[in-house]
Amino acid sequence: MTHAEGTHASSPDERELAFTANGAAVRVSTPVRKLLSDLLRDDLGLAALQLGCEDGVCGACTVLLDGEPVRACTMLAVQAEGREVATLEGLAGDPFLRDAKRAFSESHALHCGFCTSGILTTLVACDRAGCRSSEEALSELSGNLCRCTGYLNIRRAVRSLWTDDEEHPGTGGPRDTGESR
Amino acid sequence: MTAVGDQDVRRPALPGGIGDSVTRREDLRLLEGNSSYLGDLRFADLAEAVFVRSEHAHARIRTISTAAARRHPGVLAVVTGPELAEWVSPLRIAPKIEGLQPMSMPPLATGRVRFHGDPVAIVVATDRYVAEDAAELVEVTYDPLPAAMDIRESLAGTAPLVDDSLPSNVLCDQRYVNGNPAAVIESAAQVIRVSFAQHRQTHGPLEPRGCVAVWDRSGQHLTCHTGTQVPAPYRTSMAARLGLPEHQVSVVCPDVGGSFGQKLVAYREDVAVAAVARQLGRPVRWREDRRENLLSALHAREDEVDLEVAFTAEGVVQAVRARLRSDFGAYAYFPGNYMLQVVGMMIPGPYRFQDFEYDLKVVLSNKTPAGPYRAPMAMCTWVTEGMMDAVAHALGKDPVEVRTLNLLSENELPYRSAAGQVYEHITPTTTFHRAVEAFGYEQARVEQAKARAEGRLVGIGVASVVEPTTYGSAFYKLAGIPGSGHEAALVRIAPSGAVSVSTGLMSTGQGYETMLSQVVSEGLGVPADTVHVLLGDTDVPPYGMGSRGSRGATAGGGVALLAARDLRDKVLRIAAHRIGTDAGLLTVSGGAIHRLGPDGSEPAGLTVADVAAIAYLDPTLLPPGVEPGLEILRAYDPPPMTFSNSVHLCRVEITPDRGAVRIGRYVIAEDAGRLINPLMVEGQLHGAVALGLAGALQEQVVYSPEGRNLTDSFRDYPLLALDEMVDELELVHCDTPNRRTPGGMKGMSEGGVMGGIAALTLAVQDALGTPVDQLPLTGERICELLDGRA
Repeated sequence: MTHAEGTHASSPDERELAFTANGAAVRVSTPVRKLLSDLLRDDLGLAALQLGCEDGVCGACTVLLDGEPVRACTMLAVQAEGREVATLEGLAGDPFLRDAKRAFSESHALHCGFCTSGILTTLVACDRAGCRSSEEALSELSGNLCRCTGYLNIRRAVRSLWTDDEEHPGTGGPRDTGESR
Repeated sequence: MTAVGDQDVRRPALPGGIGDSVTRREDLRLLEGNSSYLGDLRFADLAEAVFVRSEHAHARIRTISTAAARRHPGVLAVVTGPELAEWVSPLRIAPKIEGLQPMSMPPLATGRVRFHGDPVAIVVATDRYVAEDAAELVEVTYDPLPAAMDIRESLAGTAPLVDDSLPSNVLCDQRYVNGNPAAVIESAAQVIRVSFAQHRQTHGPLEPRGCVAVWDRSGQHLTCHTGTQVPAPYRTSMAARLGLPEHQVSVVCPDVGGSFGQKLVAYREDVAVAAVARQLGRPVRWREDRRENLLSALHAREDEVDLEVAFTAEGVVQAVRARLRSDFGAYAYFPGNYMLQVVGMMIPGPYRFQDFEYDLKVVLSNKTPAGPYRAPMAMCTWVTEGMMDAVAHALGKDPVEVRTLNLLSENELPYRSAAGQVYEHITPTTTFHRAVEAFGYEQARVEQAKARAEGRLVGIGVASVVEPTTYGSAFYKLAGIPGSGHEAALVRIAPSGAVSVSTGLMSTGQGYETMLSQVVSEGLGVPADTVHVLLGDTDVPPYGMGSRGSRGATAGGGVALLAARDLRDKVLRIAAHRIGTDAGLLTVSGGAIHRLGPDGSEPAGLTVADVAAIAYLDPTLLPPGVEPGLEILRAYDPPPMTFSNSVHLCRVEITPDRGAVRIGRYVIAEDAGRLINPLMVEGQLHGAVALGLAGALQEQVVYSPEGRNLTDSFRDYPLLALDEMVDELELVHCDTPNRRTPGGMKGMSEGGVMGGIAALTLAVQDALGTPVDQLPLTGERICELLDGRA
């Protein structure tokens, strides 16, 4: 991680930026026009997010901003000032994410993997937002494009993560949605 | 020589071996975000390249002024087409194919630009943002020219000439005749004409193209890091274009974020980046953005087919005369007939008719160059099955009944199709009946009639697919296309017993690392998770032709299996000598040598690692005539063509006000040979069907009449989203082995595209009750068809 603390903005087009990335305080001097995605990937080495369209459409660059899923490719880095950014790397300890990764592998829900980081990040956001059914989560995922899988195995993986049948909680997947985090 | 084609497809899989649905070894790094796609690689002193591209479809370049860009702080180089032409030779595509015009493509546009997105200059700077700023400072003045945008005008000779070294825009003009279709059509009871036009599409891998070129001054060596399906041919091509002896070039592929045929060539941009990196003596990276990808990476599928079909009063097709047309774009990365000829070749499908002819014309236009896109022949299934529906309609018969009359049965095989393809080891009749039965076809027709009586627009589509998968060298020779269909593998056991396999394949998402570990596990008798798989670095594997078509399993898996079996044989010879027994009484299982006995096998007290230690470190213990070491290099040239086959049935309902298509049940019966990993095969099928449906429904490259590409973002070129995919694909496995290939493999992963386009389109046509002769089936288009019908 680049810690540029103490450096000064080198031109009027640069600005000091302070935010939190995966729980760590970051202070950098960054060009005002730099995209958040480029700052995260190139300057901070947080390269799990990918750039598929740089237009906010495909969702491969999804990160959490104060817990909300956003497209890092359509945000300027300076817009993260004072806020909390979480990338897939920083979510690694999340028990739901661990289950999701296992479900994705077991269901063969990824081929080339380029969209996977964005999809998993979106799912973590769903889980943290208290999403109650897999259908709700799947509807959130319609903003993440995948070119390889045809989505059927992604659906299968996601359905295994939520226990949709309210009468029989805890029987439909590897985890119980009732648990709190 | 190890026996081939001796595997029973129904044999239970050994854990981790062929037939086991193991989870992929690739998944861990991809799920953890530890992938190494091109953009993830780190290089010291990396410079970034961007391209200045034409905003015109066709124009004369009057002046290019690079002075301001060169002066821009941080800029390292600005190179235009004429300058680059000093360092790089053009790509010449001129195989001796009858009816094909030779073509050359300069590395960057010189003199004229020929399509919207044509690169005219490369700008290299210390930073991508700076490079983009500088690119805007490159001033190009153009004299716009009228653009050739229409196949008909090019055929009539009224369109502007795209390549002034050629006599016309017709790049390729071929004919094929089998039997005497003209006479049969002349005397037939009934003749109908049916037309099919498929729109221009593009591959849209989520990871766009790109490369990093590193020139080592002291070693005089170029290393190209790039995601390509074909590392070895890419290296050959790159070296030739740069005028470097091939030993001075290496290609290393990182993880690749999808390709579907798009990352199959050394692009002009790649060559330009490598040339500039060599001049600068520092690493240069190009990562295109989505707009560049949609404007200038390969396009595909802009094909038209018109048929005349003669048939009997019962519905037996007697003769077919086809006219094939295709828009190839502005330059040739491939011979002009490369894709369209396979459409012609597969029009007979699984049907019996013999009198057949086609004439094929491929024309240039002021559009992006075309290339193969997952199932380049995809249109053929729509054409063949659309023909069957047209015959059924003309006779007032059921589409399934007409197909049954014409369908080849297994006991007629091997069968030489009307297009000269020898079909064997396929199951068109079994697969057809099983699909029809699983779909509940008769009941579905009853329900459809009921729905129609209620005024609902419900349709059913049926499509039988014969999918050419693995193209052997004999095929290329016959087609006049230079190159080989072989693949090569190196399987090694190190002195410690560590196993590795390497082939010329490169995965762009297919999971070849997992697939090859399973094949070697089976062939050698070691656990799959102990097999190290090395792909994509041209310094490691033997020269192979890479990943294209659906050759991965048969050519790549096949040759790895042959090499692994040969290596097992050598291990057993050494072990037998050591134990003092006959090699035929031993086998390898789980990494250990076992004695075969009447009640199964028992450990012989020797492991593969023990044998490896002898082979490398104690060679005096080797049997006479056996060389030290445990390395087997094999090459394998598949049959001229292998085929898989499948049948797709789907039901659709159309919402009349919006023209929206809702896909209901979708059943596929497939014979894909012996499956190496059924979980991955199903995944490939899902992806292929989704690609077919997306192409038929919504994805379309649109040009303005002047030649501007209007679909330069994913907003305008909408890929299929999760909520747009069919709920379920019901798969009926009808797999039977190919008796000629190692392990019985056939290959698959394009048939789903073929069947998807056809089944969906014919179901929509059935629902509308009016011919559909033009794709895509957007809501707007369906509303037009509904209006036309009313």
